[in-house]
Amino acid sequence: MNYMPGTASLIEDIDKKHLVLLRDGRTLIGFLRSIDQFANLVLHQTVERIHVGKKYGDIPRGIFVVRGENVVLLGEIDLEKESDTPLQQVSIEEILEEQRVEQQTRLEAEKLKVQALKDRGLSLPRADTLDEY
Amino acid sequence: MEGVGQPAKMKCLEGPHLNQGPAKSCGSLAPEKELVSASHLEEEEENEEGEEDLDPDPDLAPGPEEEEEEEDEKDLGDPAVLSAVHNTQRGGLSSPGIKIPDVLGMSPTSLHFLWQTLDYLSPVLFRPKFPSANSPACHFGHQLLLPDPSLFCSLPTSWPPKFSLPSHLTQLHPQHQRLLQLQQHSRMQSPPAKKPWSQQPDPYANLMTRKEKDWVIKVQMVQLQSENPRLDDYYYQKYYQKLEKKQADDELLGRKNKVESLKLVTPYIQKAEAYESVVRIEGSLGQVAVSTCFSPRRAIDAVPHGTQEQEAGAASSQRLRVLHHIEKMFLQLLEIEEGQKDGPPQPCYSEQQSKQVEKLFLALKTQEQNNLEEAADGFLQVLSVRKGKALVARMLPFLPQNQAVSLLLAITHHLPLLVRRDVADQALQMLFKPLGRCISHLTFHELLQGLQGLTLLAPGSSERPVTVVLQNQFGISLLYALLSHGEQLVSLDSSLEKSNSDYTTWTDMVVLIAWEIAQMPTASLAEPLTFPSNLLPLFCHHVDKQLVQQLEARMELAWIY
Repeated sequence: MNYMPGTASLIEDIDKKHLVLLRDGRTLIGFLRSIDQFANLVLHQTVERIHVGKKYGDIPRGIFVVRGENVVLLGEIDLEKESDTPLQQVSIEEILEEQRVEQQTRLEAEKLKVQALKDRGLSLPRADTLDEY
Repeated sequence: MEGVGQPAKMKCLEGPHLNQGPAKSCGSLAPEKELVSASHLEEEEENEEGEEDLDPDPDLAPGPEEEEEEEDEKDLGDPAVLSAVHNTQRGGLSSPGIKIPDVLGMSPTSLHFLWQTLDYLSPVLFRPKFPSANSPACHFGHQLLLPDPSLFCSLPTSWPPKFSLPSHLTQLHPQHQRLLQLQQHSRMQSPPAKKPWSQQPDPYANLMTRKEKDWVIKVQMVQLQSENPRLDDYYYQKYYQKLEKKQADDELLGRKNKVESLKLVTPYIQKAEAYESVVRIEGSLGQVAVSTCFSPRRAIDAVPHGTQEQEAGAASSQRLRVLHHIEKMFLQLLEIEEGQKDGPPQPCYSEQQSKQVEKLFLALKTQEQNNLEEAADGFLQVLSVRKGKALVARMLPFLPQNQAVSLLLAITHHLPLLVRRDVADQALQMLFKPLGRCISHLTFHELLQGLQGLTLLAPGSSERPVTVVLQNQFGISLLYALLSHGEQLVSLDSSLEKSNSDYTTWTDMVVLIAWEIAQMPTASLAEPLTFPSNLLPLFCHHVDKQLVQQLEARMELAWIY
């Protein structure tokens, strides 16, 4: 803020641990090392965190370079409060399995929904024909 | 129970970093904290001997409880420590020293540290029963706050915690503001020297250098600059005015700490002068697109702007003109060939075609030059180009004899020059066949004219053109063709021998050429494309035996092939 008062800038966030949410739904946690005018980010010691219910799993990813337009939001992580979470960390295999199960149940529910609508003569528009925004 | 009020206090404080539930008020945060800790507790239930009332009451009215709690909580430190404190209290009924290791499983050194902090904080915590008449508070007494052991383990490294204060300009939720204030106070009260475990120095820090940061800021600032900020950045300007006014008022009212608010100052950068969006580099074809901020990917115009710069030197322009001329003539030739019916090209009979051919011939021969010399020069220039040779070769069959002869004569007269210029292309050969056909229709006189050009000494050179010609394949082939034809003419028409002047010239030339051939080292003698059979007899007629033998020896090479 002391650099550019009245504006938002990522300069102050450099070398701090951040949680970055991407447009494709991924959650990355890493130290923000470098930025540019497009808010492209360089994340160091990045970990991809997958959340399923109350559990989460971390996949270490190393260094990430993220194109600015793909970031939804990012926020600084308070290091001492970081571990103060009600969520339970599990192994990578477990969380991926959980994710798969969740995906499956979701798809099945979706299928049922679509079927139910079809029975009533309605149809949901396909996602790819919808406008993204 | 005495400890009733205190857990409530602590829970309230732990509100800020709760990540559950939408409830904002302090009181209702507390039961949620219970929910949170419940999950921790499940694991450690076995360890606990105390009662656990995991029955949070979210409908609790925060009300007055809140106010009271907050007042007293100002001095409390980190919630984790407080939880530990609570534990000691709880277990402190007997011997806390034993209790804690069982519960927390910590190493003695860290315990020691804990005791230190606890000692410090204990006067605050071990206060008399909290006069909270409200029964809901009693609920909490039964709650057990057992922090995660990992929390403690992390404590040493993160103590004192890094805390970035939001600037006074940021608008915070009043709750948030209060909580942050509390934390701030607590930090101020704890001795700042207590830093046995400071943050490990980050080895990867400052990967982005100051220069780079400044550069990014500069780029961002440039984007913000404007001629008229009151118009472009209306809201920020108004906001800043309001802020300044408020600060001025505060100062008037006597508020001591007047913080100078920073204003965003964008750099004034001179707007670039009219730039060249399209750059032409000399000698290149086309244009180079320069990307600027106004046109990052500008399309190159297909139409050239303005005048192209003058070609350097007359030589290149001359060459281009010649090439251009050749192209034009070639188009004419193609038309003629198109008009010609299937079959070998021959002098055409249709009116239109003859006109076309005439036109083409004139174009070639005269090149719209008034000066004969220049015209000849133009013709030679055309012949210097490979395409020009192809043009003449394809054009010759269409030409009437007289015109063809004129071309032939021009070629023979300048044969050395053409030979020299052809070194790179080696394309004169394509002229041989059409010229050969032309030669076969030559008159004796014309033939002599042609040969004269070769035998006459050029001014300023000791060498006869023949010498050069003999060393070139095309040259020697043409020469042999001419000689052969001459011999044929002579043998066929005995009357030629009568016309003395021509015949003498002929014999002289034959002798001269024979002598030149004899003079030439065998190696440099070029191999002709065709070797006419009547050459040796020709030489026999005119030269002595010895010479003939020499000639034979040299020409034997050609015999074999």
